[in-house]
Amino acid sequence: MKITKKIITKIEGEATLKLHKNQNIIEFAEIEFWQYRGIEDFLKNRHYNDASVINPRVCGICGHSHLIATAEVIENALKIKITKKAKILREITVGLEIIQNHIKWFYLTLFPSIKDIDYFKALEFSRDIAKIIALIAGQFPHNSYAIAGGITSDLTNLEIIKIKNFLLKMFERYQEIMNIEGYSKDLEILFEDIPKNIGKSLNKFLVLGNNLFFRANGEIKFVNEEKTSSFNKNALYNDKFYEVGPLARNLKNPLINKIYEEHKDSVYTRIFARLYEVNLIFEYLIKEIDKIDINEKNFIKPRNKNGKGKISIEAPRGSLIHEIEIENEKIKKYNIIVPTQFNLANGNKQNLSPAQAALINEDEKYADFIFKCFDICAICVSH
Amino acid sequence: MLSKPKIIWIDGVSCYGCSHSFYNYPEIKTLLQKIKLLYHPLFPTNEFKIQKCDLLVIEGAIKENFLRMDFDLIDLITQMIKLSKKVLLIGTCAVYGGIFGEGVLFNKNKKGIFFPFKDKIIAVPGCPPHPEWIAYAIEMLIENKKMLLDNEFRPKEIFSYTSHMGCIRNEYFEWKIDAKNFGEKEGCLFYEQGCQGPFTHSSCNKILWNEVNSKPRAGTPCFGCTERNFPKKNLFMTEKFMGIPAEIPIGVSKRAYLTISGVAKSLRNERLERKLIDEDN
Repeated sequence: MKITKKIITKIEGEATLKLHKNQNIIEFAEIEFWQYRGIEDFLKNRHYNDASVINPRVCGICGHSHLIATAEVIENALKIKITKKAKILREITVGLEIIQNHIKWFYLTLFPSIKDIDYFKALEFSRDIAKIIALIAGQFPHNSYAIAGGITSDLTNLEIIKIKNFLLKMFERYQEIMNIEGYSKDLEILFEDIPKNIGKSLNKFLVLGNNLFFRANGEIKFVNEEKTSSFNKNALYNDKFYEVGPLARNLKNPLINKIYEEHKDSVYTRIFARLYEVNLIFEYLIKEIDKIDINEKNFIKPRNKNGKGKISIEAPRGSLIHEIEIENEKIKKYNIIVPTQFNLANGNKQNLSPAQAALINEDEKYADFIFKCFDICAICVSH
Repeated sequence: MLSKPKIIWIDGVSCYGCSHSFYNYPEIKTLLQKIKLLYHPLFPTNEFKIQKCDLLVIEGAIKENFLRMDFDLIDLITQMIKLSKKVLLIGTCAVYGGIFGEGVLFNKNKKGIFFPFKDKIIAVPGCPPHPEWIAYAIEMLIENKKMLLDNEFRPKEIFSYTSHMGCIRNEYFEWKIDAKNFGEKEGCLFYEQGCQGPFTHSSCNKILWNEVNSKPRAGTPCFGCTERNFPKKNLFMTEKFMGIPAEIPIGVSKRAYLTISGVAKSLRNERLERKLIDEDN
C-alpha cells in the first residue's frame, strides 16, 4: 500500500487529500483542511446586527446564504416574523446566488480540471445574475440588506418589472447551458472521456432547509459536530454521514430521479442535479415574484433582546446551519455548520463520509474530479 | 512585440470576495488578454510556483502559522514581494487586516510588517473592492502610468471621493432628515442607522455596484469598508456625542457642522418630511 499526499486547489481555497492506494486503486482517503479564520469568535459581544456584515465575509461565493441564514437565526432567537414581501425578495436573492455559484463551479472549477473551455461566457452569465441580486440588495458580493426584521431596501414596481424581465431573459439564456428537457451540450462534452458511473457514494441524503421549493427530510436537532485531526469539524446526523446538496434536495424531481435510477449517486448524477437545479430555481423565482405586494412593509423593528436560535437553509452546496445565543442584544455564542462539513468530512474506515466513500475503489486518476464534483467550499470550512 | 506582463495573484487569509468581485468586471476578458496570469487561487491557471513576476497581487490578510499551499504564509509573501517588480494589495484584509488578521502594509492603525516595501506597493482596499478599481489599478501598473496616491498608498482617482458622493439620499442629508426606520425610501442613514458615507473614501456611489446600485441606495448604511478600522462595532447604529454624530463629514469643523445642521433643521423642507410616494398629495 502506498499513501500519496496532494493539495487540491481552486476549490474556494484548498484541501489536503491523502490517498491510500493499492496500485492505482484508492483504498482509503483522508481529507484535511489546514486553514482557520475564527469568524465565530469575532462575533462575540457584538450587537446581533453586526453579524449581517461579518457573516457574508465567511465566503465570497456563497456569502449571501450566510447573510440570509444570519437574519433568520436572529429572527428565530428573538421570535420575529417578517412580511411575505421581505421573505420573497430574500428567496430571490438567495436563489440567484445558488445559480451564479453553479455556473462558476461548472465552468471555472470542474470543467477546466478535465479540458479547456471558454469560461468567459460563464463569467458573463454569473455577472448578469449578480446584477439582479444588486438591484434588490445593493451589491454582490457582500451586501447586508437582510437584517433581523426584514430587509433594508424599499423597491418600487419599476425595479420589480426590471427584475422579472431580467429573470425571464436569463432563464432563456440558460437553455443554451442546460435546457428544461435536461440536455446540455457542455455536459456531454465533459463526459466524452470520463465514465459516468464513477464516484458512487453512500446513497444517503439529507435536507435540512425549507427555503425555495426545498423540503427538509430531517431535523437540525439531530446534527452533531466532531473534531478531526485537522481544522475541519465533521458534521454528522445521528452520528452518521449523509450527502447534502443539489442531488439530495432534488431527488424527487422526475427528471433528476430518472438519471439517478440509471446512474445512482455517481459523479454524473451529482453534476446533472446541480446544473438542472438552475432551471427549477428560475421557474420558481419567476412565479414567486408575481406574489409580491409592493405595499407591504419591508422591515419590522425587533422588540425582544434575548433568545437562542438554530436554523438551516439550503445554500448552494447543501444544508447550512447557523446557531446563536443573544443576551441583551449582544451575541454571546455563534456557531456555523457548512454543507462541506457533511460532504467532505474526514471519517474512518468504518464510518466513511460521502466524499471518502465516492473515492474508494476508484482509479487515482479520477480522484481530483470525483472530489470536485461535490462542489467543495474550503473557505467556508475554515470559517 | 513586447511580451505580456506577468502577473501572480496570491491569497492570504481571505474569503475570495475580492476575486469574485473582480469576476464581475465587464471587460475581464479584454483585460486578461493583455497579461499573462501565471497563478490565481480560483481562476484556471498553471500550478503555483515561486518565480519572478512583473506584478504581484495579494488578496487577504496575513496571520502567523497560517499554511498556504504548504508554505508558511508570511514566508511565502516575503519571498514573492522580493521577486516582484510591483505589488498590488487588493481588499481591506490585504491593506489593513480587516476581519481576518493583519494587513500587508498596515496593521489597522500601525505600520504592517511589509511597510518597508511601500515604494513598490499600491493599496486598493474595500470589502470587497469594486471590480473597476481592481481593473484600473492593474491597467495603470502594467502600463507604467503614474498614479497620485494618498498617504495610505491608495489611488486618488478612486479614494478622493467619499461614498456619500452620489448617494440618492443626499437631499435628506442636506436638510438633516433622518431615516425613521430601515426599509424606507425616505431619510438619511447618517443620523441613526450608522452610515459612514460622509467620511469613507470610496467612489462606489459614483460608479455604482454591478452597474446598477449601491448599499445606501438599497437602504443599507455604508460600513466604511475601505477604511483601516473596518469593521467597527455597532455597524447599524450611529454613535452620537451630545446628540450629533460622533464622526462628522471630512473637512468640516464640529462647530461649522453644528451650525449648518441647526440652520437646515430650523428652515425645514416640507416636501422631504412627507412620504416620497404619497397617496394624498
